Amino acid sequence: MKVTTNADRLVRQVLAGEVWPPLADRHAYRVGPDGQPFLLPGMGGVTLDVHCGDPATGYASDHLEPGASIRHRDPGANMALQFLTCVGNEVRVVSGPAAGAVGHVIGQHAYVLADFPDQPAAELTTGDAVTVLAIGQGLALPDHPQVVVKNCAPDLLAAMPGGTRPDGRLEVHVAARVPAEAIGAGAGMASEYANTDLMGAYAGLGPDLSLGLEGLRIGDLVALADADHRYGRGYRPDYLTIGVISTGQCMMFGHGPGPSTLLSGPASAFCLVDDVDANLAAWLHPQSPHAEPAPAGPDPAAVP
Amino acid sequence: MIPAGPGVSGFQAGDLRLVTVNLLGAVEHPALDGSPYRIDRDGRPYVPAGDGGIVLGLELGDSVFALDADHAAPGACLVHADPAARHALAAYACVGNEVRVRTGAAAGARGVVLGKRGEEGRVIAGFAAADLARIRPGDEVSVRARGQGWRPPGLPPEVAVMNLDPGLLPVLPIHLPSTGTGAGTGAGAVAVSVRVTVQSRLAGNGIGRPAAAWDLDLQLPPPGPDGAGDVFLGDLVAVSDLDVRHNMGYRRGWVTVGIAVHGASPLPGHGPGITPLLTGPATALRANADAAGHVGLTVAALRLQ
Repeated sequence: MKVTTNADRLVRQVLAGEVWPPLADRHAYRVGPDGQPFLLPGMGGVTLDVHCGDPATGYASDHLEPGASIRHRDPGANMALQFLTCVGNEVRVVSGPAAGAVGHVIGQHAYVLADFPDQPAAELTTGDAVTVLAIGQGLALPDHPQVVVKNCAPDLLAAMPGGTRPDGRLEVHVAARVPAEAIGAGAGMASEYANTDLMGAYAGLGPDLSLGLEGLRIGDLVALADADHRYGRGYRPDYLTIGVISTGQCMMFGHGPGPSTLLSGPASAFCLVDDVDANLAAWLHPQSPHAEPAPAGPDPAAVP
Repeated sequence: MIPAGPGVSGFQAGDLRLVTVNLLGAVEHPALDGSPYRIDRDGRPYVPAGDGGIVLGLELGDSVFALDADHAAPGACLVHADPAARHALAAYACVGNEVRVRTGAAAGARGVVLGKRGEEGRVIAGFAAADLARIRPGDEVSVRARGQGWRPPGLPPEVAVMNLDPGLLPVLPIHLPSTGTGAGTGAGAVAVSVRVTVQSRLAGNGIGRPAAAWDLDLQLPPPGPDGAGDVFLGDLVAVSDLDVRHNMGYRRGWVTVGIAVHGASPLPGHGPGITPLLTGPATALRANADAAGHVGLTVAALRLQ
């Protein structure tokens, strides 16, 4: 994104976490939209086979978290990990057979979510320690004072298309536009924690439930209409929030694929460009089959 | 009624006799993190007064915007020290349940459940003002929980009821059809008087959460020339395109009716909260908005004075 930032004034912090297990209780089942009981994996642990660029829905899963789900054991340290980690930050495995593997943060979901290529991910499991190089909170756009940046690594912002337009608006490419009716669980929470579930995003939904979001993919940049996420997540007419889809399929009603917040401000401060390629896969994972051809030279993320 | 037959248990809530459970709550003390500040929807810090615990000087019939407070509820909030017991307290308590103070200066005082709040779980209990003034955080209060699983006779099968003491139905402006048939024609629908019908896009905290244990905050603008009309504590409020049977979520053509149980909040995504009571297709559950004439739950009807 061609935009002036304060990136040279941000600090980079070394944070620690570990792959956190899925959690269940002895009753096992939860209840779906029509009252049907279900028991499905998705949250916690390491979820294989789903990466940025893949469909967000269509899986036998609930609260699908692609890749590794990461927390810190100490409650206070965990909140720092959740709040300070930004989409695009580098995550390095430091214990277990996958030690040395490098992935990237794709969002938050009460876990830090890190996408890895399938091969190192296959060797990664609960308890493996990871290091997060956290940078991004405090990122600001001096030429766009009404736009607040959240949870966004400077390198990710730089890799995104768009930027400052001659008319002064910020051009942002998005793969989907989301109506205010789709906002589900996550409303009212801090913008630096977890994400905003979107309803109406499953193939085959009837007209009573569909909100036209069946095509969402993991990693898609989306625009949330009438959403103000500058100081938390709320409804405000004529505001706009840009997020990245970091979680997928849900079975629970009122839940669904969720964007982590990246940008928020008055709608008049943005110029949206509909772009099916507006996905993290193009910018974070040059090794992904979904990505554009990798640039010449070594992957900078692989250099210690 | 599910027809009996192979593969069918025959159990159907509403056909079974209700049980009453005595629950124990403790009057909550407000709690804050290390910082006194929260951040409002415009980015300004504020100190959240009135968020839980005992709030004096606020009662049914007052505007949800009457006080500069955060989620203030008309009475005392009840909690339990054990998190699982606290969830059960919130899930089983129903609006209209009788409560009685067991310890402290107000021991013996009678009150009524006015609503519930979510996340960790809170029961909002209303008392006569003189009794409330003698209650202290930590006082023990028993809740006679009754209502979950209840279906009043004549309720159309598409409509679900929750969080409602059966004894409260006669004092609320909820009119069941005289016959249980004909839903869709109007004659067989439940007719409910509400203060206002709110669009589902205004649903905030509580969306995606279980309606039996969590209220739904509505991101209402304050009343005024550009805003909607006012809403008062105890009012019934409808939300269109919202189905709360199995978690609260969007379903076009449905309507949910709840009771306003706490006041506004400066937090983004928060606002006056309703405890859901009825949910169903709009063809079977008709919410008639009456901004000027609506009468919801009142102090007089609860004999709290």
